[in-house]
Amino acid sequence: MLHIKLFTMKSQLKIFLGVALLSGVALLSGCDKDPEPENIPEEITKVVLTFTPAGGAPVVVEAVDPDLDGPQSIVIGSIALVANTNYTLTIEMFNGFYAPTDPEYKVTEEVEEEGAEHQLFFSWSDGVFSNPAGTGNIGATGTVNYTDSDENGLPVGLATTWTTGAATTGKSFRIMLKHQPQIKSSTSTSSDGESDLDITFPIGIN
Amino acid sequence: MSAQEVCNLTLSGMVTDENGIALRGASVQLKRTILGAATSESGKFRFEKICPGSYTLVVQYLGYESFETFVVLDRNEELSINLQPDEIVLHEVIVADHAQVINRSNNAASLSAHQLAEVNGKSLGETLQNLSGVNSIQSGPAIFKPVIHGVHSQRILILNNGIRQEGQQWGAEHAPEIDPFIANNITVIKDAAAIKYGTDALGGVIVVTPAELPTDQKLGGKLHLIGNSNGRAGTISGLLEGGIKNLKGWGWRVQGTGRLSGDAHTPEYVLSNTGFREMNYSASVGHHTEKSGVEVFYSNFNTTVGILRGSVNESTADLAAAMNREVPANTSAFTYTINEPRQEVNHNLVKVNGHIKRAKNVYNLQYGLQINNRKEFDLRRGAALTALPALAYTLYTHTLDAERETAISDSHTRCVGLNGMVQDNNKLDGTQTLPFIPNFRNYSTGVFWIEKFSHRKTDYDIGLRYDFRHYQVAGFNFQNRLYKTQFGFGNVTATAGAAVKLSETTSLITNAGSAWRPPNVAELYSLGTHQSAAAIEYGLLLDEVTTQVKDIKNSGVAAEHALKWVNTIRHQKNKWQLEATAYVNYIFNYIYLQPRGITETGRGPFVYFRYTQTDASFTGVDASTQYELSNKFSVRASASLLRARDVTQKDFLIFIPSNRYDLSFRYESITINKSFFAQAKLKYVARQSRSPRVVSTAEILAAKEQGIDLFLQDSRNFDFLAAPEGYALLSVSTGLSVPVQNTKLDFRLSADNLANVRYREYTNRMRYFANETGRNVTVAVNLTF
Repeated sequence: MLHIKLFTMKSQLKIFLGVALLSGVALLSGCDKDPEPENIPEEITKVVLTFTPAGGAPVVVEAVDPDLDGPQSIVIGSIALVANTNYTLTIEMFNGFYAPTDPEYKVTEEVEEEGAEHQLFFSWSDGVFSNPAGTGNIGATGTVNYTDSDENGLPVGLATTWTTGAATTGKSFRIMLKHQPQIKSSTSTSSDGESDLDITFPIGIN
Repeated sequence: MSAQEVCNLTLSGMVTDENGIALRGASVQLKRTILGAATSESGKFRFEKICPGSYTLVVQYLGYESFETFVVLDRNEELSINLQPDEIVLHEVIVADHAQVINRSNNAASLSAHQLAEVNGKSLGETLQNLSGVNSIQSGPAIFKPVIHGVHSQRILILNNGIRQEGQQWGAEHAPEIDPFIANNITVIKDAAAIKYGTDALGGVIVVTPAELPTDQKLGGKLHLIGNSNGRAGTISGLLEGGIKNLKGWGWRVQGTGRLSGDAHTPEYVLSNTGFREMNYSASVGHHTEKSGVEVFYSNFNTTVGILRGSVNESTADLAAAMNREVPANTSAFTYTINEPRQEVNHNLVKVNGHIKRAKNVYNLQYGLQINNRKEFDLRRGAALTALPALAYTLYTHTLDAERETAISDSHTRCVGLNGMVQDNNKLDGTQTLPFIPNFRNYSTGVFWIEKFSHRKTDYDIGLRYDFRHYQVAGFNFQNRLYKTQFGFGNVTATAGAAVKLSETTSLITNAGSAWRPPNVAELYSLGTHQSAAAIEYGLLLDEVTTQVKDIKNSGVAAEHALKWVNTIRHQKNKWQLEATAYVNYIFNYIYLQPRGITETGRGPFVYFRYTQTDASFTGVDASTQYELSNKFSVRASASLLRARDVTQKDFLIFIPSNRYDLSFRYESITINKSFFAQAKLKYVARQSRSPRVVSTAEILAAKEQGIDLFLQDSRNFDFLAAPEGYALLSVSTGLSVPVQNTKLDFRLSADNLANVRYREYTNRMRYFANETGRNVTVAVNLTF
């Protein structure tokens, strides 16, 4: 009988107010600190193509997009190469959310390390290069002269070789970096996996 | 004589409201037997093959006083039961559960415990599709977001056990975090009249109500076991409840549900990475006396749900390729494994409520704390990053509601009250992505006043409320630099409704209301892309030119306002029953994602969308009719028609449910020792002919190659693909209920998409990549004791 009396209206109100008060205290004790900025390691804000001729001065071209998915468009430089010349192309990628001294700044190294799930694909206007011939391997089955490879012996594409054709203007050169986790194989193509990069550079041969 | 006793009597009847209008879905139970049923469309119930004897019949219906009568059965009896609304004599338990929000003058539709049992094993959003006028925006086979009369997400209020459900509701792929097994009744209010619960009810309110806590000491419970062929899914859900020995007035309940599904499949192929896992539980305890009550409720909802692997794309070119594939990319053999992309969501609710009855007044007080954790995992470069969520937020919501209800006379009640809400949203550090939405804290307060009265044959209700919300926001812009701002919105909500009895057979319910909601933080500040959307989204307050965050002052950003007028007519005569609801909802400053241009990124060109405001209208009709061919056979037809317009731009809106129709035949026989039903339903969904223009990915890429931005000058809505063709689906179900000693056993066998039809649904975001699911056979066993 005593039990029943314990839970009268007044007791119920006390229970309720007690819980409400405790919750209120919990609520007010929250703090108002500013949020910490995130490190953003996976993004590529700058791509640098370096075409090095045998013995000559390298041609360096950049594509820069500091706001990434922001509304400002990427700024892409023009490639100007000399006709009938052999070039080695190296591709470097940078993450401008880090200081140049930070290891995260150089995305290239990350791609190299995870070469088994990445591949660069290339395409270009017909006639720009005499070797490889054709128009490349983006949405097509043309040849690209890869000179690097991943742990499985498959090409990555950070280093390639090219021989320019005859002089021409107003042509294009497209690079595509594909992320192909558990997909990359000797038969995987540019339409497999997700695009980490897809940039079309204007190119002219003098 | 007992062994030879002839048990061939019939007890039937009809349940009506105080105006003589049939009540569908009322619970009718014969005490101390397993016999129970829900009333039909025309308010009728029927128990057959009953032995002579004396019985106690109990009839219950939400918002009405329960009715009990003693029946001595020695011949066939037909009863006429007239329920009285509980507003006149405030029924304490219902008041405690805040359930009287469903007024007679609301345009509402509900699923009773009986109807829920016939569809259980589905998610909340999928369950709600059984109500006319309610659809869903889907993201694959497991994510259903409810849509009422064409509007969804933040324009719908969900009341879970009396508390406003608060999660990351801005995402069309974020389903409500509620276990439908906690519900004894789910009601959808299609008008803007639920004024007690604050802003946001522009489209309507979904009310999820658990059963009342028991007050006697008898231990009771339920066990559900459900298996589905599609996805090779299984569900187990159990409930136990009772009183406490020597503690009068105390009642408790514990409940839990586990669900597991592997990849679903279309008629032809597996939908890889569409499985889900769910584990939910809840517990409540309460004490009720004649004049007061207090209750504590806790629930925990956990889900991991996969998103179709083939819907992942990182560029417009990827998207083009994904949409052209007949079978989605990365389709592999069936598995229960859930990889990226996936969502992991955990939702906790603690609720404490109490009420006290003093003279003509009832005072209600309730406090709720919700903690919502959401993590979204995407495919990222390298295993270390893939293991980190790309989006992760914790949202704390505190709500406090206080009200006083006064019975001024038998036909007049008044309710006044106030609500307070504090929300705190914080990103989890370490996602290593730019946060898609900022951190924020908001404070909301509201006061309301509601009058309900009856005059002659009409019930009236009017209500008025004022709300204010203050936001403090701290987020990061595209340069990953911190911005901080604060601002507020305030406004008035009003509603007026009436339920008129036009004749003995016909009644009319009309409600006109205004509603408003402040823009959500995601609509103001979101930036970037989020899960499986190959589009970039910008909030209302992001400057496209400077990429900086604008101050809300002088930005022209305004709150959304809706005017909604809903009319329902119910008519029934003999074996016919007809119900039709017509509505018009005009939303000022309607916020939507508008295509604004192409931005070139290192991953190629992207269409970018900005949240923009326009005026939009939604008009439609939901109609249903039923005819009883005999005592056991009935046929029912229904139609749901909707037209939505962007009025300002004279354009169509995207993802608006198309017109749909269904026709069903049902056989049902209920006797003292067996109840049986069999049903066949044909559903036809028309093609959405009122859809925005189509601009294909190929056209976007081709134009971009020529230096043309297709959206810079023409920001009309568009869709990447034309609306899919219409389709017809056949489903069948049958069920048997039998008593076994003191328990009741229900068996159910059903098949959805019986003909294994290949189709795509316009409101499913997966339609760009894959067909809908094929045939699904469900076997269910329920044990009630």
